[in-house]
Amino acid sequence: MNRSYYWLVICLSIPAFLWLVPTIWMVSLSFQPNDVLARTTSTTAFGLVPIPFTADNYAALFAFGQTPWWFLNSLIVSVGMTLGVLAVSTTAGYALARLDFPGKTPITIICLIGLMVPEQAVFIPLYTMFADFGWHNSYHALILPRMAVPIGVFLMMQFFRAIPKDIEEAARLDGVGWLRIFWYVMLPLARPAMMTLAILTFLYAWNDYLWPLVSAQQREYFTITLGLASIQSNFAQSEGLGRVMASGVIASLPVVILFLIFQRYVVQAMTVGGSKG
Amino acid sequence: MQEPRTSAKRMSQTQAAWLLLAPFLITYGLFLVYPFFRGFWISLHDWNLLAVAFNPDAKEFVGFRNYERVMWGRNIEWGFASPFWQGLGVLGLAASAYLRRVDRLSRFNAIALAVASLLLVVLPGFHPGEDGRWYDRRFWPTVGNTLLFVGLAVPGVTISALLLAAALNKETKAMGALRTLFFLSQVLSVTVVTLIWQIMFSPRQGLIANITETFGGTPINWLTDEQFAMAAIVIATVWWSLGIAMILFLAGLQDISKDIYEAAALDNARGAKAFWYVTLPNLQRTITLVVVLQIILHFQVFGQSHLMTQGGPNDTTQVLVRYIYQTGFRDSELGRASAMAVFLFVIMGTFSVIQFIVGREKK
Repeated sequence: MNRSYYWLVICLSIPAFLWLVPTIWMVSLSFQPNDVLARTTSTTAFGLVPIPFTADNYAALFAFGQTPWWFLNSLIVSVGMTLGVLAVSTTAGYALARLDFPGKTPITIICLIGLMVPEQAVFIPLYTMFADFGWHNSYHALILPRMAVPIGVFLMMQFFRAIPKDIEEAARLDGVGWLRIFWYVMLPLARPAMMTLAILTFLYAWNDYLWPLVSAQQREYFTITLGLASIQSNFAQSEGLGRVMASGVIASLPVVILFLIFQRYVVQAMTVGGSKG
Repeated sequence: MQEPRTSAKRMSQTQAAWLLLAPFLITYGLFLVYPFFRGFWISLHDWNLLAVAFNPDAKEFVGFRNYERVMWGRNIEWGFASPFWQGLGVLGLAASAYLRRVDRLSRFNAIALAVASLLLVVLPGFHPGEDGRWYDRRFWPTVGNTLLFVGLAVPGVTISALLLAAALNKETKAMGALRTLFFLSQVLSVTVVTLIWQIMFSPRQGLIANITETFGGTPINWLTDEQFAMAAIVIATVWWSLGIAMILFLAGLQDISKDIYEAAALDNARGAKAFWYVTLPNLQRTITLVVVLQIILHFQVFGQSHLMTQGGPNDTTQVLVRYIYQTGFRDSELGRASAMAVFLFVIMGTFSVIQFIVGREKK
């Protein structure tokens, strides 16, 4: 490593710090008293350092208000959606990648065409459908539409295709059935791909906004993302800036933790997800 | 292994395949394929959300009238109505021909640029003639705003991500940490991003205003000023979605062999020169892919406009998805909203096909 390298690191640290400033600011404001924030948001170092410090905003958030409930809803929906997507994608992906059956090619093509359909193009008919069933304001209404998106099938199919044939053939010679091969041989091998898909789905579920906005109209069924949007518009008057920022921090915590622990998978998932995120 | 045969073992390959496919195919059919066609069907009806909810027969088949009501008008003529955009289109056509001749663009990119330029010449030419008017005065301006948003956000993200990726392309701990910092904002939800930036931009409480005031400037009212509102949501978007583009570029840079750079260094091409003459040409496919991905992603913009500016001021940040949402769920006009959704699908579908072709080419 030469001197120009260290200069580069130092020069890049400045934009990197600036990039982090909005996030630091949110965290810092969430730790400042509301009556101070009502007067000024730049007490210490433009408000980037939480002095005067208080944790009251977080205490208030958990004592009353619906944030903990919304947080729980988000957890239920995100975990439910992740498990659902994993279940339908691994099975279908395996069948399309490794099994031979009449109609395989047309089915594969039909599934891939679905990648072109954006959520925004189907949310109106989905809304009327779910209204006819009387399904709105429920967890399954928030979970089910995403299970139909073929990105997971596509991902798993690509993964299963890359596994050498002989692993399967050895098991076949021992007389093991297809379903057992799938369960005992293939699924353990697929763990990294499933991890990527799980993270992609969880992030999507946690951050999704449009579908919960039309489907969940009762506040009891808001996800944290939706709930945060609903208190954003009148933040200063009713709740106090510090408390809204605390909600923002709480809403981001799971995805940020997920990112910091499983960084490699998250980056991979978001790259694969790309437009279909 | 001598085990008693179970029913699972006797199952044929075809049976196993359909059994494994069934859960996905059922959800896919019910919640994607069927809604897709139903959306088209709704767009052919005069369909009021509330009226139909109370009485399922309250809809009326109107054929393609909704499309006409959204996209067309009375006495629409074609001419050189907006010289700026149409002139830009002509320039674009010339540029694509020239750049292709000097081989600075691949054939695919040249065709893409030419088609986009042609659309720029043709589409802004439509305008209402004497006594004429658009049936829906807000639709095309909304499409225009969406395109403007895409036109600002995509180059913004692409250029900054490309420069960052080129600078961060070293496998060291420090560089890894810096990449993490730049990527972090990408995992936040749209509501958190808009919450942060709404207050960042606030003229009374915002960090930007606080800093401006310290240096004696007058704070700008970003989100309610027609000149700055679009810029504000673009800035928030670039901050939010730089990460994926940067990672894709880093992956692309890994594929360029070190030898090329060493050869270039012998020709005295280092730093910016090497970036221009070696990195850019070798990265062209990745750049195309990233641009197409970003176009698809940002054409669906909704949250930033809905939460930060509510489409305002004076409709300057009204975007297509938000207009669909409002037409459907505030004005209850599902038929017209669905016609717009079909329009959205056609545009996004086109770009998805392009993405597919580019992605294949890459392999």
